[in-house]
Amino acid sequence: MTFPKLFLPVSIVAGIMTITACSHIFSTESSLPAAHPEAVGEGRVACSECHEDQIKGVLKPYATFNHSQLFVKEHRFYAGSNDKLCASCHATSFCNDCHANELEIKPSIKLGDRPDRELIHRGDYMTRHKIDGKIDPTSCFRCHGRANNEQCIVCHK
Amino acid sequence: MSSLAARIALFLLSLPALAGAADLGVNGTTLVSFEQRSTPGFERQRVIPATQFLGIDADHLGNPNLSLHLYGWGRVDLADRSTDEKYTDGDLTYGYLRYLFPTANGEVKAGRFFVFDGVSAEHVDGVSARADLARGFALSMYGGAPVRLDRADDNKGDVIIGGRVSYRIPSLFELGFSALHEKGVTNGQTTDLKDHRQLVGGDLWLRPHKTTEFSGRISYNTATDGVAEQSYLLTVRPSAPLSVAGEYSRYRIKDYFAATNIRSLFNPDTGDNVQYYGGSVTYVIAKPAEVTVSYRHYNRDITGNSDRFGGEGRLTLLDNKCRAGLSYFRTEAPTGINSYHEIRGYLLHTAAKYTASVDTIAHLYDDKIFGKNTAFEVQGSAGYRLRPNLKLSGDLSYGQNPQFNDELKGLVRLTFNYDFIKGAGK
Repeated sequence: MTFPKLFLPVSIVAGIMTITACSHIFSTESSLPAAHPEAVGEGRVACSECHEDQIKGVLKPYATFNHSQLFVKEHRFYAGSNDKLCASCHATSFCNDCHANELEIKPSIKLGDRPDRELIHRGDYMTRHKIDGKIDPTSCFRCHGRANNEQCIVCHK
Repeated sequence: MSSLAARIALFLLSLPALAGAADLGVNGTTLVSFEQRSTPGFERQRVIPATQFLGIDADHLGNPNLSLHLYGWGRVDLADRSTDEKYTDGDLTYGYLRYLFPTANGEVKAGRFFVFDGVSAEHVDGVSARADLARGFALSMYGGAPVRLDRADDNKGDVIIGGRVSYRIPSLFELGFSALHEKGVTNGQTTDLKDHRQLVGGDLWLRPHKTTEFSGRISYNTATDGVAEQSYLLTVRPSAPLSVAGEYSRYRIKDYFAATNIRSLFNPDTGDNVQYYGGSVTYVIAKPAEVTVSYRHYNRDITGNSDRFGGEGRLTLLDNKCRAGLSYFRTEAPTGINSYHEIRGYLLHTAAKYTASVDTIAHLYDDKIFGKNTAFEVQGSAGYRLRPNLKLSGDLSYGQNPQFNDELKGLVRLTFNYDFIKGAGK
């Protein structure tokens, strides 16, 4: 048999094998919803106020993701392995208010009508960045080390 | 500007696809700000940048699981230049097609998007896919070209691939392993870096008891042969209103900063190390009142020991319509010029139609900086909801600081968020 003649039966067998394998390989659990079914109010939410038990698809308790002061400050630990869950309530643009490749406006200015939000660089950060950068330059690097630093380059050539 | 034109062209090309969407969401923020800067020895500056942020989300593109997501911004300076660059600028922050599978949290993306996954915190033009596998495993992968900056982009390579695999035991344990490889990176003048960037790392989440959670992450830079970062966080909630947290992080600058595009600032060749540890205690006195005290000790090889400590209180009243906060923090560095007190207070009130807020922040420096040892800013904001999805607001702030004798800033903001659903209202 030549290759063209073999192609069809081999494709059918390969397709059946792939579908069979995938049905065993992939989880059969329903996916997380693309968006939270109900509008979530302004301010910090506590997931466990409405939900009990664990989040399907993430396999962690809802209480883990309560937006406490600690959660907001240390959210990198959670976002780095659960960004799919974050996306259930937050559009990517929510993250991009602070985390972006190129952004000229300080988050505290863009969101100046939300003083309750935990936003960095409030007030005169031009003076303070020299101090904070000396004490812990890694805190600068996370956002400005490889990206979003076109204004840094003006002085730091 | 040609780059901006290309981004606008890409947006226009996507419009036919948007027309076929069953659900279309358009949101954005228009900002026109006014700033008058008075610097000793320099001419007074007046800058009026007008910036438009625009996001479009189109769902059900011929298939209930297929969607398109676009977001970007553009700015025009109406007076003096607001940045060191051009009078106009803009960026396509993201623009991708997404297919969500009904099971297994399966997702495929194609276009420009961000990846926050294990060791990866990347901006990529390419494709990504993820899925939960059977028996607690999950797999995610991406590949494409790193999105470059307009200036100083020699730290970005030509191709990047990465991924993460994890294993989970429900409500008890998650262990992840992730890696990325970026080819064609030019790292500038240095002796021990290669022409690529490569990180491997692990992350762990552990919940040995319902009151206790532990998170940790570590990354190893194989291009420089060293542990770039290790960070750990332990959280204990002995009772509902009380949570106690402890943290430890350590960074090797040579390995963590290796792929920077500002080597003169983030100098990775010093052999420097930074580590910090600390803790915080949060107590919810009653549901509307929360108090947090925290302490962090920093140690950096070339600057010595520093501490930051303080506390903050938050109040949420009138069914979340009134929010207030007060905080004090002290940064204690080896030298007075790097030590300061920070005091902040804010009050926000939101009603069906109106919002109003006032926010004040002050810094008291131990030693004078440019002849001053205080800085403060007072900002007031007021907003009116013209329609349920359209809000007009304005901010006005005044401050004095070591940079400026007087700093007066004003801003007008229009925020909109519209959803159009085909067939709605029939």
